[in-house]
Amino acid sequence: MNQNNMLAMILAGGRGSRLHDLTNKVAKPAVSYGGKYRIVDFPLSNCANSGIDVVGVLTQYESVLLNSYVAAGRRWGLDAKDSGVYVLPPREKADANLDVYRGTADAISQNIDFIDTYSPEYILVLSGDHIYKMNYAKMLAEHKANNADATIAVIEVPFKEASRFGIMNTDEEGHIIEFEEKPANPKSNLASMGIYIFNWKPLRKLLVADMKNPDSNHDFGKDIIPQLLADHKILYAYKFKGYWKDVGTIDSLWEANMDLLDTNNELDLNDPTWKIYTEDATTLPHYIGPGASIKRAFVTQGCIIEGEVKNSVLFTGVEIGEGAKIIDSVLMPGVKVEAGAVVQRALVADGVKIGKEAVVGSADSEHIELVAKRVKGVE
Amino acid sequence: MKALGIVNFSGNHIWVKGLEEYRPIGAFSFLGRYRVIDFPISNMSNSGIDRIQVYVRRKPRSLVEHLGTGRHYNINSKRGRLHILFSESKGDNDLYNTDIAAFSANLECIERSHNPYVVIAPSYMVYSADFNALLENHVQSEADITLLYHSVDNAKEAFLNCNTLNLNRQKGVLSLEQNRGNAKNRNIFMDTYIMKKDLFIELIKKAKNLSSMYTLTDIVNNACEELDVRGIPHRGYFASITDLESFYNANMDLIDFKRATSLFDTEWPVYTRTNDSCPTQYFETAEVKSSVVSNGCLIEGTLENSVIGRGCIIKKGAVVRNSVILPGVTIGPDVTIDCQVVDKNAKIIHAKEIISEPSNPGYIRREDTI
Repeated sequence: MNQNNMLAMILAGGRGSRLHDLTNKVAKPAVSYGGKYRIVDFPLSNCANSGIDVVGVLTQYESVLLNSYVAAGRRWGLDAKDSGVYVLPPREKADANLDVYRGTADAISQNIDFIDTYSPEYILVLSGDHIYKMNYAKMLAEHKANNADATIAVIEVPFKEASRFGIMNTDEEGHIIEFEEKPANPKSNLASMGIYIFNWKPLRKLLVADMKNPDSNHDFGKDIIPQLLADHKILYAYKFKGYWKDVGTIDSLWEANMDLLDTNNELDLNDPTWKIYTEDATTLPHYIGPGASIKRAFVTQGCIIEGEVKNSVLFTGVEIGEGAKIIDSVLMPGVKVEAGAVVQRALVADGVKIGKEAVVGSADSEHIELVAKRVKGVE
Repeated sequence: MKALGIVNFSGNHIWVKGLEEYRPIGAFSFLGRYRVIDFPISNMSNSGIDRIQVYVRRKPRSLVEHLGTGRHYNINSKRGRLHILFSESKGDNDLYNTDIAAFSANLECIERSHNPYVVIAPSYMVYSADFNALLENHVQSEADITLLYHSVDNAKEAFLNCNTLNLNRQKGVLSLEQNRGNAKNRNIFMDTYIMKKDLFIELIKKAKNLSSMYTLTDIVNNACEELDVRGIPHRGYFASITDLESFYNANMDLIDFKRATSLFDTEWPVYTRTNDSCPTQYFETAEVKSSVVSNGCLIEGTLENSVIGRGCIIKKGAVVRNSVILPGVTIGPDVTIDCQVVDKNAKIIHAKEIISEPSNPGYIRREDTI
């Protein structure tokens, strides 16, 4: 809190049900990405790199793994004095019943007491399930320069996709004049990234009122932002340029991994000035055997590769047996592919074993095949 | 029953050309992502030793940076402690700069330890060993000092800077002497000692009185006549990093995954400091076989039988064979290297071919551009 008087709250309660079996046991922010990361490493590392020292993580759906994962704040360097990552699942309070978080705004409302202990001037609200690198300090500087009540980060999306997003209509100065949730005929292509900076005191008032409103969805996009606009508050759009991905489906999660294989890929995880921090795995570097072949691949420590890997992303501790072929695929941590097996256009979930000479996925499938259970091979 | 862990530095009879100019052997990069000192400290940590003293004789920067608070070695952050201690030699002659001198200078830190035993391991040897089991064995045997050794059959051409143990049939140590390369079967002393802390302190004081140039090995050799000094054989992987060839060979040996499993065991992790590098990216033109590659690399060229450190760039058309590449190195387009040890952050761009023999690997200096 010392650094910029801004506290961050990460919304990490969602299931991400279109990720099917990947989120049966873990919430979407805890899903693995990019060889060695979990999605929530991105907002957390962004906070650490932006000089934010107090981060609350709002968890709800299948939160056991996520709670223990984010609580180890030192992974992101968020463990100095007066700094920390705080896990905030719904809790029972003296004056209220135990209640789940009813919406994104309600999750913040139910933790007003937590935020008040830091009495921040600004509050940054983030999604725990987006992949991007962003300096929130720059956004705050703009928020202050504009004397805004709220600033919302936006990204230009292709017009034909704009109706899938919450769209901000702005004037020439970036002043938000209208917000439309998934408009059929979008007037602008500035999509909300779900990243908000608010002045805490006025937001607090609004949240207290919203909690009591029976007609509210208790949602930032549906209720709080329209309310601010109706009250003629000053809302600015902060234009973000760069890689940003909301991985809602198996196809898009696969795609986001594949993006890393491009020469000069936009996310640039190799940038030493903006590292993404994650759990430190105690494993060997990766081993490549005498019969292996690796082309266009993203490979992390702990892998043992004896077969062929092409156009694929291999996560921590993946083992590829002799003569096995991995093509256009994403193999999550601990996946073992035995000798002679072929994996093509597939996303293989954590720890799944693919038996000897088994064949998984196909080159011309429309969708990426999700492999979440053991595949038996030739005995 | 617990022991104080002491990680000792290499004596002044050992010199690894090139690499040691910049840092002590313990701080050498090893097998891509490790430093040599990670092995003794991880052995101690895994054995439940949580009070560890690391002695530094010279060039501390790189070692101190790597060790930090020691948190990454999984030592309890309140009860445990990794303590870095410096020898305080005046530097008039390096011969005075012995381990005994360093222990004497820090004697109060050793005396203050509540642990009744000491386990002393070198920062320049790579092996895995359960010190807790060795300590139990030591206590049961009622020996005064237990020394760890490794029997080898290539002592004529390797381990030439190491000491050997002359043992009687009951594994009693008769004497210690330098390996002069005149016999192929030898018991190489792993510079690892277990004894009571009080005896250790006594030996330090005795050695200091006898000669200012005495080392711990010297005084233990002297003590063989009066004390019960015993050897315990070590099995599994063992490498002594005491010259450039042994550094090169130890890395090369571990490219073979089966061989590596004799050193690395998931139940006995080797800890190191994370660098938060992203995974390694292989491009369309990459050709990689029989290699060990760390994170954060960009690989467009050919790798064969090599160890690649963190954050290396291997450009298109580059060929790296039988080499050990330390972190942050760039191998430029169409450069071929064979049997080289390339030190940290070097750039090989202009020289198109650097080839040596496996028996005499080449060395490329740190931060050098050639």
